Amino acid sequence: MNVTTFGIMLWVAVIFPLLLAIPALHSRLPWPRYIAIIPAIIVTLLPGEFFLALPWIIFESELAINGEMRWILTMTVMIWLIAATSTAFSKNDISNDRTATTFFLLTLAGNMGTVLANDLVAFFCFSTLMGYGFYGMLIQNSNAETHRAARYYLWCLIAADLLLFEALLLAGFENNGLHFEIVPTTMAEASSSLYLWAVFIGFALKAGIWPAHLWLCTAFKSPNLLPVLLLSGVPVAMALLGAKRWLPFGESAFFDSGILILMLGMVAMLYALLKFATHLSSKLMLLAWITILMTGLFVTALGYGLAYPSEWVRYQHYLQPFIVIFVVCLTTATLIFARSHAVPQISSLELQSKSKLNLNIIKIQHWVNNKYLQLKLSSRTSWVKTAKRYQRILFWQKPFELTIGWSGRITMLVVLGLSLAWLAS
Amino acid sequence: MNWNTWLPVLVVISSMLPGLIIFGLAEHRVRLRTILNLFGAVVKLFLVGWMLWGVYHGQHFETRLMLLPGLELVLRAGPLSLMFITLSSILWLVTTIYAIAYLEDSPNRSRFFGFFSLCVTATIGVALAGNLITFLLFYELLTLATYPLVVHRGTEEARRAGQSYLRYTIFGGALLLIGTVWLYSLTGTLEFAPQGGFLSEIGAEHHTSLIIIFALLIAGFGVKAALFPLHGWLPKAMVAPAPVSALLHAVAVVKAGAFGIVRVVYDVFGVEFATDLGVTGPLAWLAAFTIIYGSLRALFQDDLKRRLAYSTISQVSYIALGVAIAGPIAAIGGIIHLVHQGLMKITLFFCAGNLAETLGIHKISEMNGVGKRMPWTMAAFTIGAFGMIGAPPIAGFVSKWYLGTGALEVGQGWVLIVLAGSSLLNAAYFLPILHRAWFRDPPNNWPHEHDFGRKETAWPLLFPPIVTAVLALAAGILASAPFSPLEWGQIVAQREFYKP
Repeated sequence: MNVTTFGIMLWVAVIFPLLLAIPALHSRLPWPRYIAIIPAIIVTLLPGEFFLALPWIIFESELAINGEMRWILTMTVMIWLIAATSTAFSKNDISNDRTATTFFLLTLAGNMGTVLANDLVAFFCFSTLMGYGFYGMLIQNSNAETHRAARYYLWCLIAADLLLFEALLLAGFENNGLHFEIVPTTMAEASSSLYLWAVFIGFALKAGIWPAHLWLCTAFKSPNLLPVLLLSGVPVAMALLGAKRWLPFGESAFFDSGILILMLGMVAMLYALLKFATHLSSKLMLLAWITILMTGLFVTALGYGLAYPSEWVRYQHYLQPFIVIFVVCLTTATLIFARSHAVPQISSLELQSKSKLNLNIIKIQHWVNNKYLQLKLSSRTSWVKTAKRYQRILFWQKPFELTIGWSGRITMLVVLGLSLAWLAS
Repeated sequence: MNWNTWLPVLVVISSMLPGLIIFGLAEHRVRLRTILNLFGAVVKLFLVGWMLWGVYHGQHFETRLMLLPGLELVLRAGPLSLMFITLSSILWLVTTIYAIAYLEDSPNRSRFFGFFSLCVTATIGVALAGNLITFLLFYELLTLATYPLVVHRGTEEARRAGQSYLRYTIFGGALLLIGTVWLYSLTGTLEFAPQGGFLSEIGAEHHTSLIIIFALLIAGFGVKAALFPLHGWLPKAMVAPAPVSALLHAVAVVKAGAFGIVRVVYDVFGVEFATDLGVTGPLAWLAAFTIIYGSLRALFQDDLKRRLAYSTISQVSYIALGVAIAGPIAAIGGIIHLVHQGLMKITLFFCAGNLAETLGIHKISEMNGVGKRMPWTMAAFTIGAFGMIGAPPIAGFVSKWYLGTGALEVGQGWVLIVLAGSSLLNAAYFLPILHRAWFRDPPNNWPHEHDFGRKETAWPLLFPPIVTAVLALAAGILASAPFSPLEWGQIVAQREFYKP
């Protein structure tokens, strides 16, 4: 096989699971979830670096693989093999039906494409596919918790895609090509803070980085969701990878933005540590807080890298292994903890039998809970007051509303929106 | 007269002749009517393909027939008109297949298909028109040919919708006529001039008149293009059968209006001159307003077709926005959206028709679990809906990309906010439909279910939305391929902005 044939294999690794996602196809095959991964396994085994650009594809997008990305691809393949195995032995019938397989394969295709993408547009296309596929997987085994998680995730995804699209437009405007080798450099030259923040917030929403972590926590709360929990590491990892590939690290200093991002990462870590200390009873939730802690650490590193580009150049090679180790650890921990999620709350009798150290931790936990609860109650009281005040205002608005009706109100809203847009422009 | 002179006329006649014959057919002559319909559609597609190939290789196709002294009926094939007629011809074929199955047992089919063919004839005439008077003639023929289709069901609601449609379009036609006559009196010509319009030589003393003429022409076309506040007829017209809705939104009426706006800005005024007159800015703002307004109104509709209608109001204004931004890249975005929106919207209307015809579903609140019952239909709907949102790599993404980068190119960053807002609203009104269809449990009984055996619906009803969904997907994924809408859009923009 020559390099062109290898290049074709890159596209096969993406298109094959995409085609298999059609229910009429995968329902006729044994183990479609395993079969769909085979081309990606072959790609990981092929030697050397290679790529394939198809000139008639959207914006002449390109897939490629190099030494660094081979590690990420290998990790991705492993996770998907584990996920396929876990669903194959799942007692839950729903997770093995045709629709679930479709979403599994769509997410898989999106994930493989995201790893192999060599330009911004391809990455964006595949990460969107992965995102919506993952939403389908989350909501497929729908109980109240997963439903909530999926809804949060969907809104995060839409907002993230919009921001990334705006970033793409800025990059497309500044550049002739959209390759990963070109864009970060030229965007650094253009010193586009708007691009930087759009990319950062976009991927932060996709990764569930604090304070956009709600979907991640809720997903971890739900029972019987081993495959989904396994795969929740995938969007997180891909978003982190995306942030690394899209942002202009090591090119020029974005001191203010970098420090802000660094601080955000530190706050996220602090928050995760606090939550960790107060939620010792649920092992699965611990995994959620660990994930947020690690993403916080990653964000801190990103902020530091943006603020101090020379330091980034020195330490950047640690980042990819960090993502790999993080996802592998998360996957392993999920596998271990997922089945024993129903840990009961600690009773007073058990409290007595705990060691002194444990007791102190639990006391701190209760203290934080009480403080938090009081804070929540007091804030709730202020909310009630505010709501009542607005109610009074609304009373005076009523006659006005009755006269103008829905369409009038909508029009006024549009006028207001456009005025704001004009002011912003 | 040689072949190149006759070809534009033949393209027009290829649908008109079958239409006229169909009018005379008895109701029970189903097979002959079907053959005539399909024959006309296939012949037209073949002729358009021929013309497309010729224009791509530099051939010139033009027909001139004397109407009145000084006024000619001109049919001319250029890159812009070919984009439109290719779209119309392809979609006419699939819509005909769909309509034959959809109206299988309904009365007055000869009347329906006769006007259906006339409607496409008028659209092709609008696309090929080489001057404003030819455009106006076919534009008014389009009004007359679509009215019987809107009122086809013969119900009181249909009659009211038809009246509303007539009121709006006749008003628009009158404005258009006044504008055209006024323009003729000023210039003595109405010939479209593809590279910069024909008004740039006019003295500054007439500029106020030209601004008013521009407003009249845009208002005239804006009625059919459903620009705010002239959009009122469109949601009401949803009472018509699904193939008519598809025709109105994707192939003929709305597109003819949007195409008219493109013609006025590019071939009558010229982008440069229109910008100097200061008329493109207000048009851009009006289009932006309509984009957001249509999306907001769509949010509150429970009737599926009405939601799609408001979505059309929003989406068609992308075309006007792309043209009004007055830059080469945004122009590509606007022009290709003419094709992209057609492919995506017709898919959605076919699917809506399938749901109504197969399960009796008309409202979004009735769509729970319908994806499990009709997976192929809903898969096509999903592609269309994601395309409308602008999700990559479906066609809508490519349009929004060019509109966005085009706006940045000419320093109109506010357009990005409008695009983002519109995408967000599109997601807000399309994703709940998909959620209901795919993730909720189906009811025990559908509102009015037809039995199609093991199939989800009749094959001729299923085939068209799948084809158009695949085309919408292909227009996005294969955007850089030869003969793609994007390539034609680039040719048109090049012709308009980079003069030899």
